[in-house]
Amino acid sequence: MTLGLKITNVSKTWNPDGADPVPAVRNLTLDVALGEFVVLLGPSGCGKSSLLYIVAGLEDATEGSVTFDGLEVTEPSPERSLIFQEASLYPWSTVQDNITFGLKIAGQSPKKQEEAAERLLRLVGLVGAGERRPHELSGGMRQRAALARALAMEPKVLLMDEPFAALDVQTRARMQGHLLNIWESSKASVLLVTHSIDEALALADRVVVFTARPGQIKAEIPITAPRPRDMRSPEMIELARQCEALLGEEVEKSFKEQELT
Amino acid sequence: MTDETLETPLVANRQESFGMRLLRRMEPVLWVMASLSIFVGFWEFAWWRGWANPLLLPPPHIFLANLPDQFRFFDPGGTRAGALATGGSIFSVLGVIAWSSLRVTVGLALGFLLSLAIGIGIRYFRIFGNLVLPLVTMLAPISPVAWLPVAVFIFGIGNPPAIFLVFIAIFFIMTLATLSQIDNVPVHYIQLARIMGCNKRQIYRHVILPAILPELFVTLRMNLFAAWMVVLIAEAVGVGSGLGQVTMMARNTFNASLVFFTMTLIGLTGFAFDQTLRYVQRKVLWWVGPSNVGGL
Repeated sequence: MTLGLKITNVSKTWNPDGADPVPAVRNLTLDVALGEFVVLLGPSGCGKSSLLYIVAGLEDATEGSVTFDGLEVTEPSPERSLIFQEASLYPWSTVQDNITFGLKIAGQSPKKQEEAAERLLRLVGLVGAGERRPHELSGGMRQRAALARALAMEPKVLLMDEPFAALDVQTRARMQGHLLNIWESSKASVLLVTHSIDEALALADRVVVFTARPGQIKAEIPITAPRPRDMRSPEMIELARQCEALLGEEVEKSFKEQELT
Repeated sequence: MTDETLETPLVANRQESFGMRLLRRMEPVLWVMASLSIFVGFWEFAWWRGWANPLLLPPPHIFLANLPDQFRFFDPGGTRAGALATGGSIFSVLGVIAWSSLRVTVGLALGFLLSLAIGIGIRYFRIFGNLVLPLVTMLAPISPVAWLPVAVFIFGIGNPPAIFLVFIAIFFIMTLATLSQIDNVPVHYIQLARIMGCNKRQIYRHVILPAILPELFVTLRMNLFAAWMVVLIAEAVGVGSGLGQVTMMARNTFNASLVFFTMTLIGLTGFAFDQTLRYVQRKVLWWVGPSNVGGL
């Protein structure tokens, strides 16, 4: 038995029996060790999000298997929490009730929920915002609340689908710092999807570069530099150049494909 | 330079801003008055020029002139059959309005709750949905007026047929609205609930229900006026009391003043209903911003 996440020969085709099947992921194999931070980097529409949904258990793989701690993934679970690009907080609940939603479903006592909310609000830097409504928060605050909601369930792996893409550059940098702190203290694995090279290099233990659709692994780049990383150091600039070259080819390919159709 | 010179304009400023605030507060009311005045103005002008026959189209200053004379036609119980009535006061008028309002309220409440239950049931239980949805879709386009004889066959004369008609007027449309709202719940809301460990029942209770309620309330408010129209028809035909009965009786006795007086009451009551529902909506469904409530 292997601990952590094991993706073996997974393929996903949308609309497989229809007139126009769309292959999203092809024959993909990837392992994520316990506590590892892996970033999937690829052009938009290359199937990285599809992979994330399969790992979350929200979609079934057409072929191949996904196991987590040796068990086959068949349905969603709080231990594999997914964070969307938009925070998707429930607008009818306060921030605190959003954060403790999973705990309430799990049947925890109100007192325990209260304690958890207090701890989590402090962890993500939202002390005092518990009674606010989601629409009263800024985009960054909402995304932090979504993070707290996922962390409340003590996930073993955090799946993040371009979580900071909708934020401005300054907020994004601070959120990345936040995420690293939380990741280091929680020791969960993270599988994060992005199309930003800078984001990938700032966060990852390992960057996995995807090909254009159908998504396959083009290259894996381990990064050993300690965090926080200086993106202007020669080492990081070299890595960025490398990623850019890899990504550039794939963007080119997907552009060509669009021209043909 | 002393403090005094500085303070004076400040105070004046504050007084002015209070006046301005009052004006802003009153602004919607003033517009309502202006809107009404134009309508009434044209009508009075037409009467003054002799275009509008006061027997057929009596302007407001005529049909609002002798209120006690109008009041005596109002009988909340419907026992005096109106036309030959004596007495009657502002209270009997309020009583008649209350009866009509009650029928609308009960019909709306029943229609709202049942359409919500059936709509959710259609999506929750597949077989139930397959069996019921075609029926709902086929019955939906039938006008409530066509249901009128059915209402009388089933319920006879009295409150039940009127309530039934109000119910019919909103039930099918609200059921279809419930379905479309359920289908439009953001998919992330549901995926998130699944990740958090919700089963199907919990998803419906904790996510779909609160997600669809605001829009359904707006739909209910838009159908409020349809409910009012239907209750008047039912009262005119099969109840024997209420504003609809007074209107019908006024028509039969060729009492144009009474017709317009009753129409005024209907308009005011409908307006009050809409305002009340809007208020309830703001209080109960606080997570919908005021901009989404719409209307006046």
